[in-house]
Amino acid sequence: MSLREIPYSDPGVPDTRSGFRFLMWLQRRQLRGQLVATWWGTVFMAAIAAMPAAVGLAVQSVADRSGKGLLGAAALVLSLGAVVSAGDSLLHRAAVGNWIDAAARVQQLLSRKAAELGSVLTRRVAAGEVVAVSTGDVEKIGWFVESLARFFAAVLTSLGLIAALMVYQPLLGLPVAVAVPVLAVAALPLLPPAQKRADEQRAKAGRATELASDTVAGLRVLRGIGGEELFLSRYRAASQEVRTAAVRSARMWSLIAAVQVALPGLFLVFIVWYGARLTADGRIGVGELVTCYGCMTYLLMPLRMFEETAMAWTFSKASAKRAAAVLAIRRTTEDGLSHAGAVPGGDLYDPSSGLLAPAGQFTAVVCGDPDAAGVLADRLGGHSPDAAGEPSTRVGGVALDELPLETARRAVLVQDKDPVLLSGTLRELLDVPSSGGVSAERALEAAQCGDVLSVLAQSLRTVARRADGQDRAAENGEAADPMAARLTERGRSLSGGQRQRLALARSLVADPPVLVLDEPTSAVDAHTEARIAQGLRRLREGRTTVVLTSSPLLLDRADRVVFVQDGAAVAAGGHRELLGTDSRYRSVVTRYEPDDGARTSAPRPSASPSPSPSPSTPQAVPSAEPAIEETV
Amino acid sequence: MKPPTFDPAAPQEAEKLPVGSARTVRAYVRELARRHRRPFAVLVAVNAVASIASMVGPYVLGDLVQKLSEGAHELHLERCVGAFVVALVLQTVFTRMTRLRGAMLGEQMLADLREDFLVRSVALPPGVLERAGTGDLLSRITTDVDRLSNAMREAVPQLSIALVWAGLLLGALTVTAPPLASAALVAAPVLVIGGRWYFRRAPRAYRSEAAGYAAVASALAETVDAGRTVEAHRLGARRVALGDRRIAEWVAWERYTLWLRMILFPVVNATHAIALASVLLIGGSMVINGWLTVGELTTGALYVQMLVEPVNMILRWYDELQVAQVSLARLVGVREVPGAAQDGDEAPDGRTVLADEVRFGYLEDTDVLHGVSLTVEPGTRVALVGPSGAGKSTLGRLLAGIYAPRTGEVTLGGAALAGMSAERVRSHVALVNQEHHVFVGTLRDNLLLARTGADDAELWAALRAVDAHPWAEAFEDGLDTEVGSGAVALSPAQAQQVALARLVLADPHTLVLDEATSLLDPRAARHLERSLAGVLDGRTVVAIAHRLHTAHDADVIAVVEDGRIVELGSHHDLVAQEGAYAALWHSWHGDR
Repeated sequence: MSLREIPYSDPGVPDTRSGFRFLMWLQRRQLRGQLVATWWGTVFMAAIAAMPAAVGLAVQSVADRSGKGLLGAAALVLSLGAVVSAGDSLLHRAAVGNWIDAAARVQQLLSRKAAELGSVLTRRVAAGEVVAVSTGDVEKIGWFVESLARFFAAVLTSLGLIAALMVYQPLLGLPVAVAVPVLAVAALPLLPPAQKRADEQRAKAGRATELASDTVAGLRVLRGIGGEELFLSRYRAASQEVRTAAVRSARMWSLIAAVQVALPGLFLVFIVWYGARLTADGRIGVGELVTCYGCMTYLLMPLRMFEETAMAWTFSKASAKRAAAVLAIRRTTEDGLSHAGAVPGGDLYDPSSGLLAPAGQFTAVVCGDPDAAGVLADRLGGHSPDAAGEPSTRVGGVALDELPLETARRAVLVQDKDPVLLSGTLRELLDVPSSGGVSAERALEAAQCGDVLSVLAQSLRTVARRADGQDRAAENGEAADPMAARLTERGRSLSGGQRQRLALARSLVADPPVLVLDEPTSAVDAHTEARIAQGLRRLREGRTTVVLTSSPLLLDRADRVVFVQDGAAVAAGGHRELLGTDSRYRSVVTRYEPDDGARTSAPRPSASPSPSPSPSTPQAVPSAEPAIEETV
Repeated sequence: MKPPTFDPAAPQEAEKLPVGSARTVRAYVRELARRHRRPFAVLVAVNAVASIASMVGPYVLGDLVQKLSEGAHELHLERCVGAFVVALVLQTVFTRMTRLRGAMLGEQMLADLREDFLVRSVALPPGVLERAGTGDLLSRITTDVDRLSNAMREAVPQLSIALVWAGLLLGALTVTAPPLASAALVAAPVLVIGGRWYFRRAPRAYRSEAAGYAAVASALAETVDAGRTVEAHRLGARRVALGDRRIAEWVAWERYTLWLRMILFPVVNATHAIALASVLLIGGSMVINGWLTVGELTTGALYVQMLVEPVNMILRWYDELQVAQVSLARLVGVREVPGAAQDGDEAPDGRTVLADEVRFGYLEDTDVLHGVSLTVEPGTRVALVGPSGAGKSTLGRLLAGIYAPRTGEVTLGGAALAGMSAERVRSHVALVNQEHHVFVGTLRDNLLLARTGADDAELWAALRAVDAHPWAEAFEDGLDTEVGSGAVALSPAQAQQVALARLVLADPHTLVLDEATSLLDPRAARHLERSLAGVLDGRTVVAIAHRLHTAHDADVIAVVEDGRIVELGSHHDLVAQEGAYAALWHSWHGDR
């Protein structure tokens, strides 16, 4: 295994039946790496354990006044040093390699799973879990998988050391053989409570970070209205709670540290006492006494390794379980395969609502019930997880649900109400699978993105200026290419209207046979919206376009407007025609509420003499009563 | 091996807020040290006791070896073992105290740091926040505080422990046998040269490595967040490819830092081996020549071996401290933001808002507004309409006192808004924008911020005023209901109502509405207009109107184009003028 091979072209199919099986699967993927790490770990620890022998030899030679022996011992120290050095480095390289292998493999599996699940993720709790596994659990999983090799190396060295002592110094070897297992498990009972406290501390720290970022995220509100002190004192309290919890956790860890000093120390005292008596009786030499003392101090290392593996296991158990659960999620709607491959064309028809969007036309849809619009838009694309059991939307008579997901998405592109702008350069944003028929320039122009381009070009110049430390770019009057400008995550640096227009441009570039847009211009001002309506129509000439909206500026441009009420298409025709003939339609698009007759949009102070009766549910559907006459 | 060419830690965007200069950072560190002088002294003291106690063992053993090799008859074994046990007890107790005191000191410093940072952040002038956005601040309070946690929690205490420990060991070595100390130092040049080489490269490399790893996770988080978009646009394969590319970039840095350690580790191991061999060889020949006892040599050799741990600790934590320095500079940088305007004697006399020949731009060389004048009489309703980028929002922000004009003046009751503090301005004028932030906490917290002393009756009255009481009363815990992310999620419309209820409580006489309902689903926005009406009642309103029906109802409509007011008048006046507004109105209303 080499780090050069990462990322793997195929990370494999994991065993997700349980957390433990998943860990073992990862383990098997890197068997070679594990063996290499175990080998070098054993060499490293054995060399370290042998070092006291060299020191003992030196002391013995000196006690015996042997200069030659001393020289030999020093040479031994140096050569052991060389072995330690090689073992340490190569163990480290193998262990880190194993960690990276495990971490990278899990990350690759997660990203493939996320891409496979797509829209399913946003509907399930799974979204948070996937991110949690990626940010927190991967490291722990890698830690445990990697620590196994060092654990085995520690076991091998300890056994070897004990065996050697038993052979050379049975009198000292026996107590060591008894003591090592005891010392190895001594601190273990303290680990679970320590871990519990550490978890508490982490949870509190997470809460404090959340409060802090929440306060910062809403800082403009705070500075605009007030309440800074209120939120500061709240954060201070949370921050102090973190401190208290951390100190509580530190109490436990310091206790563990104390146990790790006291128990081996006591054993060391015993070795000194017992060894000194054996030496005084002439049964062992002074050098051997020093060797035993040194061996005991070096045994601390494998002991720590046992503890670390135990700790890694307790930490990674839950992580592995969560990772296995996330990787085991499947899409619920299976790809139907009755029509392989071919992208259907023709009219778009939704049997549940009776909505028909004729091929090649610009159809606008007005929904009486706001909540139903999103579901309807979703259903128009087929394979909707929310529409199980309902008849599939058809394109040219072909049911989308029965097509493979990929083909269905190719046939119909649904831009939902809250499309996400992926971070990257503008060029990358607009580089989506497309027919190639619409250039980025045309799409940006139709979506009225001119001001966004100049804002981005501006930001690019600022970056260049700061990076250069001088105004070179600006001075030359060089036009910065806005396509190379980077958008931050979700396009947060842009206004809501700007984001919407970029998302629209992206959908236009894709140039799908059928394009469904849900409220594409709700955050755009009227001037710009009017121009977009025009541009959209021109650009989509001859293609099927469905826009769910209630904006008269868009409705007026549509070939055909369909009014959907209570899940059924109840009226269809031109915008002006419907305005004249359907009072419910008029009430929805012109915002007059027939039930109380009062203009609710922005009553003048003098014009609201009595409070209008408020409907019990805000979504109350206006009844079909005579419409109020327009005032203009 | 050269570092990878792609550096994930390189800033992709210009820093929007300043980064602390070396001097600010030094001053802050000094202040921090002064504030925590006592706990620091205690840490050093308990650590010294623990370290000295840990040296008794080798001393006792050396003593015994000396006696045994001299063939002494009386070993006084009980006395030796007794001393050893006492030292062990001391070492145990004081090791525990060292660990605990270290953690306490680290946690206290960390708490100070993060609280200081938030105190500074909430005092930033509103204009700075509008311009810089909150993204930069957010990354500082999350990523940088996180990086500092490690340094404060571990690096600072561990480094101070290790330094004291190593110093005491060298001291003990000198006391035991001065020649042995110089023998050990033979190895020092190897360590110094290797260490310098490593530390010149390591901090930057680790920063890039961490950023690379974070980029792997954030690419995935984005795919998850954008699940619907990814599926609709068939971007799955590209997201996988992007994820793999991020992994490749991260692993390249992992390989580089691994290579750095492949150089450092042999250097460190060689240092230890050379030090030990040199002590044994030089010390041993001195013993043979009778200049040193065998007991001193034993003790000395054990001390040299004990040096391994503190030296490793120093190497382990030193680069963490270097990385932390960068984060610290970003945190204290917030202190360098020029402060808000001082609250001068400017006090408004009246409620008329007046813009007089205002020019303003975000960059020095480009103005967005070119000499705009506008009078907003108390109690009237002014609508600003015009295409995106025309300067409507900018004008709104000037009228709300968030930015000060470059030339010209914006006054409230004759007093310049630029001369008032944010606290004073907001008691008169409030800007309502499309951000309807619901804070994590109770519904009460979310309202109380607008009027800190308000009682429950006032809070309920405010909720009623904006028509929010039906859903608020339905909450089992009423005002104590936890809302915001992770708790009861309010719908966008409810969040908007909370924002409006805050305005009722804050009670400014003038409101600037900037696209206040535009991010909402227009279908839901309809129902909110009633709530809005409850707030606007009796106030002066400047509305940046996206929807023409809002403009229609205004007393005065100002059409803004290219940073100038091109049409000004009532709806009927403007329709009669047959200009830009009239054309738009006809198109919207479908009655051309």
